[in-house]
Amino acid sequence: MTRKKIDLSVDFCGVKFNNPFLLSSSPVSNSAEMVANAFEAGWSGVAFKTLNSDRVRIVHPSPRMNPYHYGSKRLVGLQNVEQISDRPLKDNLLDFLYLKKNYPDRVIISSIMGFSNEEWAYLAKASEDNGADMLELNFSCPHMTVEGSGHKVGQANHLIEKFTETVKRAVSIPVLAKMTPNITDMTEPALYAKQGGADGIAAINTVRGISQIGLDDWTARPKVAGIGAISGTSGPAVKPIGLRFIADLAKCEQLGLPLSGQGGIETWIDALEYLLLGSTTLQVTTGIIHYGYRIVEDLIEGLSDYMAERNIERVADLVGKALPTLQETDKFDLDRQGTAHYDVERCVGCGQCLVVCNDSAGQALEWDAEKRRPRLIEDKCLSCMVCSFVCPVTDLITYKEQPKNWQRQETEVMGKDLEGQLKLEVCK
Amino acid sequence: MNKSASFKSMTKGFGLDQAMAEAERCLLCYDAPCSKGCPAATDPGTFIRKLRLKNITGAIRTIKENNILGGACGVLCPTSRLCEKECCASGIDRPIEIGKIQRALVEHSWARNFQVFETPELRKGKVAVVGSGPAGLSCAAELAREGCRVTILEARPEAGGVIRYGVPSYRFDLDFLARELADLKTLGVEIQCNVSIEGQGGAEKLLQSGYDAVFLATGLWDTLRLKPDSGELKGLISSIEFLASLRDQRFQQVSESLAGKSVAVVGGGSVAMDCAEAAAKLGARDVNLVYRRSFSLMPAEKEERIEVLDAGVHFHLLNQPVDFVSNAEGQIQGLKLVRTRLGEPDASGRRSPEAIPDSSWVLDADLVIEAIGNQARSESPHWYPNVQVDSLKLIQSDPSTGQTSVAGIFAGGDIVRGPALVVEAVQDGKVAARGIVEYLAGKDV
Ligand SMILES: Cc1cc2nc3c(=O)[nH]c(=O)nc-3n(C[C@H](O)[C@H](O)[C@H](O)COP(=O)(O)OP(=O)(O)OC[C@H]3O[C@@H](n4cnc5c(N)ncnc54)[C@H](O)[C@@H]3O)c2cc1C
Ligand SMILES: Cc1cc2nc3c(=O)[nH]c(=O)nc-3n(C[C@H](O)[C@H](O)[C@H](O)COP(=O)(O)O)c2cc1C
Ligand code: SF4
Ligand code: SF4
Repeated sequence: MTRKKIDLSVDFCGVKFNNPFLLSSSPVSNSAEMVANAFEAGWSGVAFKTLNSDRVRIVHPSPRMNPYHYGSKRLVGLQNVEQISDRPLKDNLLDFLYLKKNYPDRVIISSIMGFSNEEWAYLAKASEDNGADMLELNFSCPHMTVEGSGHKVGQANHLIEKFTETVKRAVSIPVLAKMTPNITDMTEPALYAKQGGADGIAAINTVRGISQIGLDDWTARPKVAGIGAISGTSGPAVKPIGLRFIADLAKCEQLGLPLSGQGGIETWIDALEYLLLGSTTLQVTTGIIHYGYRIVEDLIEGLSDYMAERNIERVADLVGKALPTLQETDKFDLDRQGTAHYDVERCVGCGQCLVVCNDSAGQALEWDAEKRRPRLIEDKCLSCMVCSFVCPVTDLITYKEQPKNWQRQETEVMGKDLEGQLKLEVCK
Repeated sequence: MNKSASFKSMTKGFGLDQAMAEAERCLLCYDAPCSKGCPAATDPGTFIRKLRLKNITGAIRTIKENNILGGACGVLCPTSRLCEKECCASGIDRPIEIGKIQRALVEHSWARNFQVFETPELRKGKVAVVGSGPAGLSCAAELAREGCRVTILEARPEAGGVIRYGVPSYRFDLDFLARELADLKTLGVEIQCNVSIEGQGGAEKLLQSGYDAVFLATGLWDTLRLKPDSGELKGLISSIEFLASLRDQRFQQVSESLAGKSVAVVGGGSVAMDCAEAAAKLGARDVNLVYRRSFSLMPAEKEERIEVLDAGVHFHLLNQPVDFVSNAEGQIQGLKLVRTRLGEPDASGRRSPEAIPDSSWVLDADLVIEAIGNQARSESPHWYPNVQVDSLKLIQSDPSTGQTSVAGIFAGGDIVRGPALVVEAVQDGKVAARGIVEYLAGKDV
């Protein structure tokens, strides 16, 4: 395949980005020295580490992060209690000027958090005056040590509206509201942000969680001088939650704002999923904490090749494309049923399918102990597909739809001869 | 590390992280083929699953309760033809490195001081175990766990049998052995070293001197001779002598005497490989290994053969030694060889070597190590005159109980099987222990 240069640029709230990939606001975007390296690597923009107005002194707890490992797979998730930027506002703004001067084609989104109405306006204005192309209002940090801030704001709809309104009045650049997932329905606060004048929504910030308890000290991690806390979880472990909230926002017609998706993006496939559910830009932190800025090369190349192979011209043509088929479960056609299908030729004989089918499904497999091969009794198969999840050979077990009149066997009843002892009234 | 230090200790195995990463490749098979492949039922299918589910203490317990020498087996077993042979992961890419996982778990138990065994109350019967090799150790441990009072009687100064005095220390070192033997102490097994059970009926007399049962596990400690009538020659040494000298007070002297010498090793089995590799590692100028068949027909494990080649040993295949060449003082100077070619398969199924006429030549050698096979000590049948032995002086015993032709006397390991494996000796020890417990119950001891 000769490589066609794919244009990955997107328009987001009227601002042009060379590609959809941005650093999200976090340690990966803490200073211009770092961000410059990220720009060199290929990131199209940055949501700079959340600015603070110097009125409240910010001190990061120590230590401030903890990994969530799965077996020997590292960093499936990340836990952090980091605060907003602990740098003087002036230093951050000088860094903006530096970046704007040296990387004029990249986008600076200034993430801000005020502790009063005036502070929100002050930070917004200072950002705009020093080169920020956009603002991101941090309504969503779940572990601020300053009371009543962070996601406490993001859980109070009237405050969202008020602070957004204040900021919008102070500046003319586009404003994003960054939402917390630590609520039931994100469309509600998002609508308040819209009411306040927000031009777009960023989601998700970290999910409140606990990644680990020390078994010797019975204390949650990270342990800060003997104290643990419920705090923000990020990374691949939270991707399903991030995708769900993005889809909710995208499907909300009343909202109709462009979205900046994030939460667990590491590969171009994760990125594409966020696009297909309605994100226009994509932000990354934990993926960079795990692998470094270099992953942007694979995000760009992977997405470009995917688009080239399918003759998709613009990223915008992918945005929201998975939404039409995303429905409530009551829309399922329950008359159409199927079963697993085994390509036994490729089987290596481990029998994991047998174990899980027996212990968590339909007992639909017979086992040839001599040859070490499974055989599916089709009309006992529940089509749960758990066997395919554990089978080590990819696509050996696939889903096969059965004809319309096909019938599944009833599940075995063990107590048939105990009918006399049955206590059951008809449900009225 | 200097040469003698690296000769004396094993290379590091997997750490726990590596073991876990390897365990993650395991398919956690139903009716696991690896478990069926272990002669001593060490049950890798189960201990790998336990490791995967972070039940590390449970994994260690599974190994050690099934195989008291689980660590030694993890190091020494030819896994590619045992547990790893039928491993389903081969269908994906390659077998799980079960031996390495097993060793890592056992070493981890030492690092974190996890005790699998408690000291049992010993009240059943009194049993003498003759020989402290793998078979004897395994039988003793199993009997102690069953509550028997066990005394191991060992002729040599220290316990372990071949894994103490045969296998070179860079493959299995003293420290590892000592840690593995600590479990026997916990189990209350008494080991008496420097006690040789010999002389007419020596072993059978144990039954009259307070022991309710006897387990014979004396192994094979005579070397087959190329020319039994060749008399004393300086520079001619048996594999048993050579290897044992590397593991006792003679080490310094022997290793110094090898420097700059040309050594010939005769044989194509595992023992020959150990002799040749050890000689090369200790600085012999040339080590020539002489074998009468081809490379692929060598009885030694493939991994061993490659390792020995790698150590710089020269292989002289298709060459049959016919005589020693010595000078007037009786000092070996070389080995007379004839070239062979492969003819029809023999009883072992391998094509047999046929001498090529007029092809003899002399390979120079200052030292010749004979490693063509180990056999029962020639006088051993006298130690137990009523116990049935075969033409090779191997003891005849019931494979399901270890019982010999004499009531109360059981046997296992190499002295029953002929040259076999550590893990098979372990299994024989377990089987005989069960046989003995049943026998004692029948006798109402
Ligand atoms: C050089 C060499 C390398 C080997 N390498 C491996 C390997 O890598 N992996 C593997 O699985 N197997 C290997 N084997 C084989 C394995 O070591 C044996 O199968 C195993 O040790 C047999 O155990 P055993 O208990 O039957 O006998 P042994 O280990 O031979 O132990 C017998 C013990 O009995 C003692 N004894 C003998 N006679 C008397 C007596 N009259 N009174 C008191 N004590 C007595 C001996 O001193 C000895 O300690 C190797 C063998 C050799 C020779
Ligand atoms: C250590 C750390 C610090 C963070 N600090 C901030 C912050 O100051 N402001 C903010 O808006 N989000 C902050 N976040 C949230 C990230 O910007 C991002 O929204 C979240 O981690 C989910 O994306 P990910 O899975 O790619 O990390 C932080 C995340 C981490 C891990
Ligand atoms: S899980 Fe897959 S490879 Fe394993 S037995 Fe079943 S079909 Fe075969
Ligand atoms: S056979 Fe291999 S893959 Fe299967 S359980 Fe054993 S080690 Fe794991």
